[in-house]
Amino acid sequence: MKAFWIGMANLRRMFRVRTNIFFVFVFPLVLILVLGATFGGSSSPRLGVVSVGSGSLGTALLGELEQIPHLRVVTVSDPATLLTQVERGNLAAGVIIPPGYDGAVRAGHDAALRYLARPDQSSQQLGETVRGAVARQAALLGSARFAVAQHAAPDFSTGLAAATRLSPAVPAVSVTQTNAGTTLFSRTLGQFDEGAWTELLLFLFLTAMTGSVALIETRRLGLSRRMLATPTSPATVITGETLGRVLISCVQALVIILGSALLFGVNWGQPAGVAAVVIIFALVAAGAGVFVGTLFRNEQQAIGISLLLGLGLGALGGCMVPLEVFSPTMRQVAHITPQAWGNDAFAKLVGHGASIAGILPQLGILAAYAVVLLVLASWRLRRVLSA
Amino acid sequence: MDGAKVGERMLECRGLRRSFGKIVAVDGVGFHINPGETYGLLGPNGAGKTTTISMIAGLLERDAGEVVVAGEPMTTHSVRAKGALGYVPQDLAIYPDLSGRENLMFFARLYGMSTAEARHRSDEVLALTGLADRAGDQTKQYSGGMKRRLNIGIGLLHRPRLLILDEPTVGVDPQSRNAILESVEGLSGAGMAVLYTTHYMEEAERLCDRIGIIDHGKLIAEGTRGELVSMVGEGDQVRLSATGNLTGAAAKLSARSWVRQAKALDGGIDLVVENARSELPAILTDAAVDGVAIRSVEVTEPDLEAVFLHLTGRALRD
Amino acid sequence: MRAAWLICVKDLRARLRDRSALLIGIVVPLGLAFIFNSIFSGISGASDVISLGVVNADHGVASQQFTSHVLPAVDRSGLITIHTEPSLARARALAANGTLAAVIVIPAGFSARVQANQPASMQVIGNVDAPVSTQIARSIAESYAADLNRVRLSVATAAGSTPLSPAQTQALAAQAAATSAPVTVTDVSAQTKELNQKSFFAAGMAVFFLFFTVQFGVTSLLEERNDGTLARLLAAPISRASILGAKLLTSFLLGVISMAVLVAATTVLFGAAWGNPVGVTVLIVTAIMAATGIMALIATLARNAEQAANWQSVVAVILGLIGGTFFPVSQAPGVLSSLTFVAPQAWFLRGLGDLRGGGVSVVWVPALAMLAFAAVTGGLALFRLRRLAEV
Repeated sequence: MKAFWIGMANLRRMFRVRTNIFFVFVFPLVLILVLGATFGGSSSPRLGVVSVGSGSLGTALLGELEQIPHLRVVTVSDPATLLTQVERGNLAAGVIIPPGYDGAVRAGHDAALRYLARPDQSSQQLGETVRGAVARQAALLGSARFAVAQHAAPDFSTGLAAATRLSPAVPAVSVTQTNAGTTLFSRTLGQFDEGAWTELLLFLFLTAMTGSVALIETRRLGLSRRMLATPTSPATVITGETLGRVLISCVQALVIILGSALLFGVNWGQPAGVAAVVIIFALVAAGAGVFVGTLFRNEQQAIGISLLLGLGLGALGGCMVPLEVFSPTMRQVAHITPQAWGNDAFAKLVGHGASIAGILPQLGILAAYAVVLLVLASWRLRRVLSA
Repeated sequence: MDGAKVGERMLECRGLRRSFGKIVAVDGVGFHINPGETYGLLGPNGAGKTTTISMIAGLLERDAGEVVVAGEPMTTHSVRAKGALGYVPQDLAIYPDLSGRENLMFFARLYGMSTAEARHRSDEVLALTGLADRAGDQTKQYSGGMKRRLNIGIGLLHRPRLLILDEPTVGVDPQSRNAILESVEGLSGAGMAVLYTTHYMEEAERLCDRIGIIDHGKLIAEGTRGELVSMVGEGDQVRLSATGNLTGAAAKLSARSWVRQAKALDGGIDLVVENARSELPAILTDAAVDGVAIRSVEVTEPDLEAVFLHLTGRALRD
Repeated sequence: MRAAWLICVKDLRARLRDRSALLIGIVVPLGLAFIFNSIFSGISGASDVISLGVVNADHGVASQQFTSHVLPAVDRSGLITIHTEPSLARARALAANGTLAAVIVIPAGFSARVQANQPASMQVIGNVDAPVSTQIARSIAESYAADLNRVRLSVATAAGSTPLSPAQTQALAAQAAATSAPVTVTDVSAQTKELNQKSFFAAGMAVFFLFFTVQFGVTSLLEERNDGTLARLLAAPISRASILGAKLLTSFLLGVISMAVLVAATTVLFGAAWGNPVGVTVLIVTAIMAATGIMALIATLARNAEQAANWQSVVAVILGLIGGTFFPVSQAPGVLSSLTFVAPQAWFLRGLGDLRGGGVSVVWVPALAMLAFAAVTGGLALFRLRRLAEV
């Protein structure tokens, strides 16, 4: 019971500092919002198109481009802006349908579209997609022109009308598509879902790490000694300090989970599973935080190392860039970190609708991490308190 | 002592005034210090000593008044006047991450010495303060006493003409306190002018040639010890250490004609009487009647405590 | 100024001894850049070649045309590699496990059907997790199909309602095939005005932590006031301006040291390409000035060193986020992409990006923007600092 009060004292001390509230609650939610808004949802490349003054045929071509799946077409007002946007990477590539396109084609001249691409490969590869759309319109235009050349039509417009009319009836060469392989996620993820669970894990760990500074302060202020002078056993003090970290983590998780669910409609999966992952991960984080806290006497150094470990392990464990994008080698390396296992668990819970039974392996491994770290932490803390 | 002409005075301050919001911390304080003189500013906590010092050292803006140090006017921007002044603040003001020598070298250079001069002088001060063998260690590793010595040493680096010490013995153990007092005696013996603030009467009595008593921001009395004591008038000081109804007994005693003043204090009664030896039995009887138990009696010449009591009706020690 | 320099040197000495400054200024950003670098060099992503497979079960004229002329042209660019697969089953398996992003299948009888003016189709089998690459494969196939359709439609339009004999159809088709497509696409290469991933992380981490490194300068003024050493400085025969100047100078120099080490280390260790040295120097110097000014201003608003550090951290993190140091926010919707310019970090990263694709002169606008930040915040800070420097 005393351990609980020590834990609560920790909790209270943390929230007295207002900037902690920012780092522990507000910032994670803001980050989830920004991540989801920027990267969640469709990851289709953006193609900029300038079609000013290109006439009805130009508009038709723009329509063709917009029909292409997995491509987002953005209209841009002028070539100069298009170039800047492509160069800066805001657009994957750009197409300029020249002004007077309509008139030139109708008059029988060849027209050239300019395709702006950067030297990197993805920009260049997209050109094939543009060529496909252009080829479709070229079929109609070429037929119209051919008809005029063959004197089957008096002028281009009549020819084009005829071609357009005949087109559905002409037996076509088509392309059909099927998919192969298993999807990464059997459920469709919401825009903010993946960002939410990865940031939750990142911040649970990071907060526990930087919270280890509070432990140093406790020592520095002579409070630990004072606690030990009271009829409280070292074991209780140790449990209390660790419990304090766990309590903070649980409150943090609660706020982030409920906050993101309410504000951004994030789906977290089966509650029992979520609770299990959060509590066990909180224990891992607490163990790590307390352990690091015992290694330093100087607050500023501890903060630096905590940031490095918290951010570094988080990045390595797939909290900043999702694990599915890692190469197979890196993915194996990533699983040194508890964060990777936590991310796996959430991917199953949210992405595949698994229940707690489905994530038992991940929970088991996380529990092993927790045990090891907590044992290390209490051993160090005992040594430090008696020093 | 006061024969020095105005132009030769080491410190001249007049009409110093400073408020913090509605509180007037210093109200019209003025005094002077002659070359080679040790001047004590004596007063209880909160009297305005540190504020006065801060204005004299050019750390704090004055609301009114003038300060002239060694003939140079002093303001918060004065470079020349500050060069003549050595300052030892009450709180330790040394850099913990630098070694003793580095601290001294830094301040020496800041006071305009060349690197060679600074090195030479730092060595001297290290020897003087007995820190030579720990000169290379970071000061955060020094003991409290060592830090105090360094704190004073820094004030002496540039051979100031006037050294200001702001309550240098507060919270210091008796041994170190004695050492500090001896150093100050040594400095003034060597001809340095010293401005020494304190609320300890014994220190003022021991060190100072002249003393200014300050209370509630005003300089209420000034002079040599003898001059101040004579304000109390002829008489002896009787100090009773006692328990019981002290206030009642004191009131009773003050009614006696041969009692100049009687004041109940924490742990006893302080009296100034005309002829202690003959009146002593009466004092003891009077006190005992009121149920006061007397533990000890001390008869002395009036001291500065008595002076302060006489002037303000309150004790110097809180 | 001599006094300012003396105080600055004293501060630098104390700071560099204090390992925390080294940690925040060098070790942590370098460590993180290293970790991000490792993660990203192990990522298959946007810079990879697309591997496509083709299964030709037909071997007729039309399919040969596709595999011998169209596909090699695509492959020649080196961006997309074409692998001929003999068996459909194997090709499908490779698409399923992701070795191939997609497979184009030409079924048997394709050429015959094309020749006979009958409906024909090609198939694309795409890996479900590579929708963009699959679309590209599909577009390659569709371009070819559209060209074949153009010939058919041309013949049909030219014929009108007149029925044609097979010989006439052939003749017309040959003529139609001979005419060129009326619309072509010419490639125009644009510069890359964006940092590559390695450089982005190096620069992003460096400029993010810069805002922490420069805190040590002005915050130390608050610490000195607390510790009592400020009184000594004020009592010394030096001007107040030199004390204030020294603190700002310390921040600036710490920033310079940190950035210099980070630029050198990331270039040598990770091969990050920062760009033209003159341009990079201008951007770095103005960024340090902006960071110093902003952090100094915040310090003057706080009551003590601890509060100053807390607020500075909050602002540094917020500016880092909206300035795009964690991840690029240029593609973020609406407000966020305009909000980014409130952060000097965004100007810094944009300057470096533009520098990659342009001459040194592109840095003037971002540099001036950061100078403006520095001037405004620094000016306000100095104004407030004068009150701080009093006992």
